[in-house]
Amino acid sequence: MSRIWTHPSSRRGFLRTSAAMGLAGTGLLGLANRAQAADALNYYTWSAAVDTVKAHVAAFEKKYGIPVNYNNAPWAQFRDTMVTKFVGGAPVDVAWVSDSWLPEWADAGWLAPVDGYPEITKYNADVDDFCNQSMKYKGHQYGLTYYSDYMAFFYDEEKLKKAGFTKPPETWEEVVAQSTKMKQAGISEYPLMLSMARETWLIEFLSALVFSHGGRLVDDAGNAVMADPAHGAQAAMQWVVDAVNKHKIVSPACVETGELNGLKAFSSGNHAFALIGRYRIRSLNDPAQSQIAGRVRQALMPAGPKGSHATVGWMRFHGMTAQAAKDKTRGANAAKLIEWFGGKADGKYQFQKMLFLDIGSGFGVKSLFQDPEVRAAYQKYSDIDMAEKQQKFARKKDVVAPWFGEWDEVNGTAWQSAILGKSTVAEALKSSAQSWTKLRKQG
Amino acid sequence: MGGAWRQHVSDYDQKSAMLFLAPMLAVLSVVAVFPVVYSFWISLFDLRLTRPRSVPFVWFDNYAHVFADPLFWTSVARTATFTVMAVSAIMVIATLMALLLNEEFRGRRILSAVLLVPWAIPYVADGLMWKWIYDSGYGALNGLLYQLDFIDKYMVWLGDTRKTLPLIANAFVWKEVPLATILLLVTMKSIPADLYGAAKVDGANVWQRFLHVTLPALRPGFMLVMIYETMMAIRHFDLFFILTEGGPANASHVLAWDVYVETFRKLSFGTGAALAYLIALITFLLAFSIIRTMGKKL
Repeated sequence: MSRIWTHPSSRRGFLRTSAAMGLAGTGLLGLANRAQAADALNYYTWSAAVDTVKAHVAAFEKKYGIPVNYNNAPWAQFRDTMVTKFVGGAPVDVAWVSDSWLPEWADAGWLAPVDGYPEITKYNADVDDFCNQSMKYKGHQYGLTYYSDYMAFFYDEEKLKKAGFTKPPETWEEVVAQSTKMKQAGISEYPLMLSMARETWLIEFLSALVFSHGGRLVDDAGNAVMADPAHGAQAAMQWVVDAVNKHKIVSPACVETGELNGLKAFSSGNHAFALIGRYRIRSLNDPAQSQIAGRVRQALMPAGPKGSHATVGWMRFHGMTAQAAKDKTRGANAAKLIEWFGGKADGKYQFQKMLFLDIGSGFGVKSLFQDPEVRAAYQKYSDIDMAEKQQKFARKKDVVAPWFGEWDEVNGTAWQSAILGKSTVAEALKSSAQSWTKLRKQG
Repeated sequence: MGGAWRQHVSDYDQKSAMLFLAPMLAVLSVVAVFPVVYSFWISLFDLRLTRPRSVPFVWFDNYAHVFADPLFWTSVARTATFTVMAVSAIMVIATLMALLLNEEFRGRRILSAVLLVPWAIPYVADGLMWKWIYDSGYGALNGLLYQLDFIDKYMVWLGDTRKTLPLIANAFVWKEVPLATILLLVTMKSIPADLYGAAKVDGANVWQRFLHVTLPALRPGFMLVMIYETMMAIRHFDLFFILTEGGPANASHVLAWDVYVETFRKLSFGTGAALAYLIALITFLLAFSIIRTMGKKL
């Protein structure tokens, strides 16, 4: 029998490599291998702001004389693509990383800590707390943020005025009261738009609701507390279930409404309130993209009875791979690229500012809120002070763990089941908690 | 002499045939046989891409894990429901369409061409189109029913767990009916006209001719369509991915979706491969039983 089948490490290697080849295809790996041969930095992003990234890469190459092979893949397939590349040993030096993947990628040994690179960590003091926390895992920092945002509460000012309200709701109880009045007045059949379809965005929507109700899904020690009636997610889930089934202020179709469809529905004027990513405010107030342009305002996330204006924040960062960190020169060059994108380039936060000005995406750098150009641009479509105020309430997702992807499947189903009346709130949260505990035990 | 020569030619022919077939056999071995064998091999390992340092050989644990999961059995039941709904509808509609197109009437050729349109549309485009039609906020279905006064407010379609599976089956049927119709029409065209003539002479009316001539003669076509569509329905993934992603609340979590979740979301290749093998086995057994049942009567 061949050694490849009998020797454990060879067998594992063969399995991993074959699986990776099957997924990635020989073409991609071939291209990547050629890239390594040229001794350039291999830089992977998802397909967002491609032209902006390319321009900034070109400026980096000019400044430092370090060639960069820039590649991108669609967001929807990015995790699978990168995991396949890592497993297959394809050359990757710097990559965009979602906060949700950090434990998985760090535990697998694909990402390297950047604690030893002061040119990266020196920016921490100017970065929002939830962003710093989101880049850390088991006491180590794994990158530098270039984009962050949070779940925001928006309202249609015109609809509120029409219903006789002079200010937006500050609590979830007020949301029910204002929505009920609007529903009765025929202003909107379902005044609140919630996206509860089972997609990657769902955890962000759920976390915002749970945090603002003063609850947690998982505590700081990593224990599942979502089913705890006092400190868990029960109040938030019960509120959603009642909003759909009792008050009927949220459409039962929320379980089939994804983030993008929710945005479309809100921008077409069907709703008075919406939970949407903050960066969407630009398109919502753009007459070319929205029928309610000029009417959308941001308010602080409504608070639950025992809650606050807390919301969930998310962030993406530049991570350095373990293979880049292994080589001192390569690691140093990768750190330069990370700083160029996540930190200052020629003394300024150029990339984050470019992303904001080009597509309205958020940033975790506190000082950028005071940048005159940023303020002037933002004031054209919304209130930057409100945006900053809410960002201070943003918290990192408490469910980010190596088993997050597996648990997320069960948790999403649990929430949908409760909303659709297929299970009680307690049963749904119990099944979510059990799944978390089981996966945690498995490691 | 002649016998030896013939033997020589025969051997030569066989060797030539093998030589000409060799490249294709090699290609098939690489692209078909190896993946099939290798995926079975993978199904015996706890291969998770996210835990690359530990890939233990677990024998049939992945299969045991699948069988012990209640979601697997509900997925089997849902897949069976979807398959029965879809294949029954396809058989009935395709038979009616084939009967219609078997008649001579004005516009038959145009109708035949139009019938092929759904078949020509890729499944992804088909899914996106139906997603738009079924949307509860701005969907064409709600718009149509509302304008016709069948409903007084917009309905929830895919978000209603009782409607999810039938609606996906409907989109599947729409796409699959053309091929089934063509297959049945071809079989129908091969029925000798004499049989109908003889039946008429015997005094059989239209219904009796359909029942005693057309239907029995269509059996090979039915068998082909049933096997093909059953296999398609059991393995179908695209519409589930585009329309519902297995939701809401697992209402459309079928076997093919389970394979996708295990393999590409959880990146658990071992369990994913085990599930894929189980689907293949179920499909094979069903096809085999259909052939055994219907083939006997051919």
